[in-house]
Amino acid sequence: MIWQFDLLILALGVLCALASISLKDLLSAAIVFGAYSFLMCLLWTEMGAVDVAFTEAAVGAGVSTVFFLAAVYHTNRAVKPRRRGRLLHKLVGLVTAACIGLLLLSATADFPTWADPNSPASVYLSPFYITETIPQTAVPNIVTAVLADFRGFDTMFETSVIFVAGLAVLAILGSYGRRQRDYEPSPTGQDAAHQSSIVQTACRVFVPFMQLFALYVVAHGHHSPGGGFQGGVILGASFILVAISYDLRVMQRRLRERLAMLFAGLGVLIYAGIGALCLVLGANFLDYSILHTILPATSPIMARSHGMLGVEIGVAFTVMAIMVIIYVNVASHGKSDRGL
Amino acid sequence: MDNFFIAGGVILLVLMLLTLYRAIIGPTAIDRLMAVNVIGTKTTVLLIIIGMLFNWVEMFVDIALAYALLNFIVTIATSRYFQHHKNLCPIGFGIRHRKEGARK
Repeated sequence: MIWQFDLLILALGVLCALASISLKDLLSAAIVFGAYSFLMCLLWTEMGAVDVAFTEAAVGAGVSTVFFLAAVYHTNRAVKPRRRGRLLHKLVGLVTAACIGLLLLSATADFPTWADPNSPASVYLSPFYITETIPQTAVPNIVTAVLADFRGFDTMFETSVIFVAGLAVLAILGSYGRRQRDYEPSPTGQDAAHQSSIVQTACRVFVPFMQLFALYVVAHGHHSPGGGFQGGVILGASFILVAISYDLRVMQRRLRERLAMLFAGLGVLIYAGIGALCLVLGANFLDYSILHTILPATSPIMARSHGMLGVEIGVAFTVMAIMVIIYVNVASHGKSDRGL
Repeated sequence: MDNFFIAGGVILLVLMLLTLYRAIIGPTAIDRLMAVNVIGTKTTVLLIIIGMLFNWVEMFVDIALAYALLNFIVTIATSRYFQHHKNLCPIGFGIRHRKEGARK
């Protein structure tokens, strides 16, 4: 906590948030919203929540703004001008909002104050994780241990939620399983051959390093901030970068939509499969310590660490594939032909 | 040494405020894009500075790297947008709706 930073970052963040909701140009609003996510990442870093900040860095800087841009690309760029409401309507809205705001503010009085040593969270919950993570799991990064082991059941369903989000995008927009439509050349003649070779070469050199870094983030999540979610998003962003700098077709030659869907399902299957394997071996669901009976040369403690790695790999598969699927469908309006 | 880094960080944040002015007012989307790009670059530096203040740089280098790797995807995506839609500064796209023909 450095109060000078706190104050300035918070002020900047509020300014950004207000600007992005009041801008009438949706493209600009999406860009300013990107700045908002930079500032939130800084704020979380500065408060010590490094893993959350990393997720925000990967999602906010990498993919969410691109998704917004792709949605604006295929819809309308301007907000429709609002008709002037009647004074009575405005008054009713104002009073309702003010009442609910006051109600919520009065509820915050019951919360424990910030960093209160007597709050329930810091009396028994945090001390347990802080003292028991290393002896029980041998994982230095407590957040990874909580995410993938102690609260592994929650994370499994978070992964399923991402999977379902991808399915929902496919169900609304996608032509998955339908016959591919013919490729229509773009009206402005901007095909892969006509794009800037500077951008293409730079991205081609860049993408392998990005993917290597993503794999490092997945594998090193036990020791540093990172893990399946962040690594998966960076891996997905590398494919999105190929699709943006070249063409959607070029990317789909590397990773077809069917293959991506297979990866998405495979990730959830790996996660649930490791849990079910523990069940078969006679322990509870997702109790990785029993895995030492089938993994060679491990103790029950190291088996928990390895189990977490397996689960993180599953998460990375799902997140990577779903990011690619969402981009392909939103950017091409479900036709998966050209993209942005 | 800590005071030096805190002062450096505060100066960067104040500079960020100046670029944010361009991001919020900036008449065209390109102005906003450039401003947000600058903010992203400053964020990368600030992350390292915060790491120095916490005496744990190796933790924060990963996040800063992720930023450096991903920061320009949005820029390229927006340039692709303008490759197809040429209109850089349409009327009525600021904070307020301007009336048609109000442009000077």
